[in-house]
Amino acid sequence: MTPILEVKNLTYTYGGNSPFVNDAVSNVSFSVKSGEIIGIIGHTGSGKSTLVQQLNGLLKPTDGSVLFEGKDIWENPKEIRKIRSQIGLVFQYPEYQLFEDTVFADIAFGPKNMGLSGEELEKRVYEICELIGIKEEYLEKSPFDLSGGEKRRVAIAGVMAMRPQVIIFDEPIAGLDPKGRSDVLKMIKDYLTAYNATVIIISHNMEDMALIADRLIVMNDGKLVAFDDTDKVFLNPQMLRSIGLNVPIVTRVFEQLKAKGYNVPNNIFTVQSAVEYLMKLKREGEHRD
Amino acid sequence: MEKIIEVKNVTFEYDDSEQVKTVIKDFNLDIERGSFTVILGHNGSGKSTLAKLLNGLYKPASGKVLVDGIDTADESTEIEVKRRVGMVFQNPDNQLIASIVEEDVAFGPENLGLEPDVIRQRVDDALKAVGMYEFRRSTPHHLSGGQKQRIAIAGIIAMEPECIVLDEPTAMLDPKGRAEIIDTILKLNREKNITVVLITHFMEEAELADRILVMSNGKILADSTPKTVFSDVSLLKSVGLDVPQTTELLYALKSGGADIETDVLSIEETADAIAKAFHLEEI
Repeated sequence: MTPILEVKNLTYTYGGNSPFVNDAVSNVSFSVKSGEIIGIIGHTGSGKSTLVQQLNGLLKPTDGSVLFEGKDIWENPKEIRKIRSQIGLVFQYPEYQLFEDTVFADIAFGPKNMGLSGEELEKRVYEICELIGIKEEYLEKSPFDLSGGEKRRVAIAGVMAMRPQVIIFDEPIAGLDPKGRSDVLKMIKDYLTAYNATVIIISHNMEDMALIADRLIVMNDGKLVAFDDTDKVFLNPQMLRSIGLNVPIVTRVFEQLKAKGYNVPNNIFTVQSAVEYLMKLKREGEHRD
Repeated sequence: MEKIIEVKNVTFEYDDSEQVKTVIKDFNLDIERGSFTVILGHNGSGKSTLAKLLNGLYKPASGKVLVDGIDTADESTEIEVKRRVGMVFQNPDNQLIASIVEEDVAFGPENLGLEPDVIRQRVDDALKAVGMYEFRRSTPHHLSGGQKQRIAIAGIIAMEPECIVLDEPTAMLDPKGRAEIIDTILKLNREKNITVVLITHFMEEAELADRILVMSNGKILADSTPKTVFSDVSLLKSVGLDVPQTTELLYALKSGGADIETDVLSIEETADAIAKAFHLEEI
């Protein structure tokens, strides 16, 4: 099966021909299967945002290529706008980009640019709102009257309404309260399930990554330093710590147990897996007694 | 204990074009000198409004806010209030104004009308306190988010405040930047005895405080030590808040039938509690 997205030797250089030339992304290659959730982690300045902005043609790579369904997205530069509706990108703090008078108009902006109008356009907006739980009475409100978390959801809905096959999120939960965080993660999962979409998500939250990402890309200094199943990446805490990252808190509890001399597994990355392991141990103990 | 801030029966309303919206009503709160208080609450709970009331950025519609005994509503002593209580906000890019780091830090003390050599001394001391002295001649926009936020804090420290109020100072930072800010805040509180009021959504940060206030709909729902506050998991969840992952794990084990201590927070204590409650095999 052809991967839905394939990145080959991607390099992006800022300040070319100047003394400040700097590779923001350097020789990065990976491929993404349809229906996957890929997480991207790395500290600020590691090249995560520059990388994802090339995936939907917002930035043109200095070198290397991005293939969408086997075709170079820059093969026909005139078609790049179409690519941007097939590979959606939700920026950091997307709520700062709301600008229309009503929530409806804001969500409709993307699909309208794709050429939809009238009933078809309305249907698109209503469908996405129903899927992610934006109530109909909100549609005539000004987006500026909404709370921070609601604005974020409207901004994300605007990208989802274009119904992209691949949707990229640049720190979608940054700055939200815990309820807002779980709302946004839920809407991402709902979208994925409803449209069999592929998701790429940049986040600093290792606990959330452990819960939702199938595979993780680890970036440092513009280079891809690891790309593997989420579990396998978290099995290497030394590497993560050496580049300013960490493993989930629950994993650190088990590291601590090991340091105290107990024989516990090192592949516990979520609260659920910790509970399953410990409760099984308890039942077995009781059985023996 | 001596109080640095007293909030007495305060009501605050927003004048939203059509209607008046009451954010905080009959609110009372004392902050002790030298303490470290964290305020938790979902978006719209009134916590940012409260923060802005603490240094006179907002004035109460009724009631009083006293800083070191000075009424924040009294315009003739406004500078005295601002000098005592400094504020740091979420977005570091919106708080820096000068093109050179040390000029930015000097902005506050210059406005206090201090002598140049005093200003020089304060700026150097403040930059050293946040670990940014070597960047004093840099341009702020070439720094990382965590570094910029530390410059914003230095600008407040240079005013020699009694208290710093920080409104989600780490929300836009990566884990490394977050750790830098939290280390800086702890150091100021413990070594310089500056009172800290920190608003945050990160439960790992809240764990470090002496006291946690939980706000919802403009009211205080809980006011206690981190251990006590986080032990009420259902209260926190009911107002859209989370608990640290360590607490979540201990409660899940307890509700699964384990006989385990749940009033611990740190990773080390959690590991000890698990080791005590389960028969783990030794290596």
